[in-house]
Amino acid sequence: MAIDYPKALSDRIQQIPRHFIYLLLFGVVVWQLLAPIRMPIVPSHPSQGVYDAIAAVPDDKIIIITTDWDASTQAETGPQTQAMIHACFQNHKKFAIMNLQPPMGVKLANDLAQEAAEEYGAVYGEDWCNWGYKYGYENVLMSMAKNIPNAIGKDFYGTPVEQLPMMEGVESVKEVGLVCIVTGLSAMTEMWIGLIQGPYNIPVASAYTAVMAPIYYPYLDSGQLQGMLVGAKGAAELESVVARPGKAVAIMNVQSWAHVLIILLIILGNVGFIFARRARQP
Amino acid sequence: MNPDLFILWAAAIATLGVYTILYRENPISRLFEHIFVGLSAGYLLATTWTLNLEGKWWNPMIQDKKWYWIFAPIVGLLFYFIYSRRLGWLARLVMGLFFGAAAGTFFRQFFPIFSPQIYACFKPLGPQPGMSVEGFVFEVILHHWIFVVILLTVLSYFFFSVSHEGRFGRGLGRSALLGRWFLMIAFGAMFGNTVMARISLFIGRIRFLLFDWLGSLIPWFAQRGL
Repeated sequence: MAIDYPKALSDRIQQIPRHFIYLLLFGVVVWQLLAPIRMPIVPSHPSQGVYDAIAAVPDDKIIIITTDWDASTQAETGPQTQAMIHACFQNHKKFAIMNLQPPMGVKLANDLAQEAAEEYGAVYGEDWCNWGYKYGYENVLMSMAKNIPNAIGKDFYGTPVEQLPMMEGVESVKEVGLVCIVTGLSAMTEMWIGLIQGPYNIPVASAYTAVMAPIYYPYLDSGQLQGMLVGAKGAAELESVVARPGKAVAIMNVQSWAHVLIILLIILGNVGFIFARRARQP
Repeated sequence: MNPDLFILWAAAIATLGVYTILYRENPISRLFEHIFVGLSAGYLLATTWTLNLEGKWWNPMIQDKKWYWIFAPIVGLLFYFIYSRRLGWLARLVMGLFFGAAAGTFFRQFFPIFSPQIYACFKPLGPQPGMSVEGFVFEVILHHWIFVVILLTVLSYFFFSVSHEGRFGRGLGRSALLGRWFLMIAFGAMFGNTVMARISLFIGRIRFLLFDWLGSLIPWFAQRGL
């Protein structure tokens, strides 16, 4: 069947075949991955807030990094977690990884922490640990508020957490200096704020996929969140703050060029629309 | 075959297979879609046992001889009485229990979540003692005033109790219209973020295909990814 292509240029601009747009986007992404033209990355106030919150944790307290993400959002949440781990190691802060959902996140975060720990010479159990996946959502948090070793039980490798040297003296959330939430799921922040940050005044910083970030700006404005990483952009900003340009900086550079393409296509579509409307007017 | 290499090739073939949907609906993308759904269901089933039930229910009951855990699945199975007209009340009993627990937990969380955000809406609109002119312009006028104007106009958009007629009604209508514009701008920003997130995921997959998969065949690609 013959396709009826529009003849006027303004109509053709508005009806660029989607396959052509996909190919253009693919071309820009591959081009920028293989031969990048770097764009500057300036840390935003919310991203700087995450770093400042980590740096401000007293030495006798631990940081909890809750990694509620999986492979589906790894491109954004993976670099966010990695940048937070680097910020902890650089500031000599002890941290524990855990997650409430989905179970895969804790394994993926463990790989990132191990890689970074080798670089900084950090020791498992002394400088960092992995509490593993804990099922029970609110119940886990309410239990942790009173007694962390009881609520957590065994770590990722099956060792009772009270046997880990860094857990000495850690009884309840009062010994937690900061909770870093890295998540691709909504409701996790509400749980931590409602059950831990609000009642026990424990600072919380967070990292979200770009899709879900806009709804958490009010939490930032009210001071419930000390800082926030927004998607790959936030991860890239924290990477630049810790002077460790990595995956997020590379992704963000490509992303900026992809955005340029999308903006150009939007402008082109609107120009076509305006000219087509003018052409139809008597 | 090296298991890592197998995983690499399987991931690459699955990624390419799923992306064939970009051309058009086809059996290859459908095949990988079904494989993904099956894997997810299997993974969920396996992790439900290994990470939840085995440690929290089976082992305490069998190894630690805590026999009373036998009642947990019995209570859980009461949910299935929903299909019985005569014994449906048993299902409602456990549902009521769960609803009550969930409502109680949410009620406990409600005030710590929302109270600080309500307090944060009350921003000073005049110059503060010791504030510089620069601070007044950037903080009070550019931040607080814009915030309060947007807050009030958006709230007025959701105020449906007064018709937009008469002097007050027309004023409310204009405010609601402005509020609608602000909402549209906010939705535009949210949609922009959604585009950004989707492109991030796409870049993540292309990085994998170029640097990990192609890089395992042609070292030049792997070097570019370092």
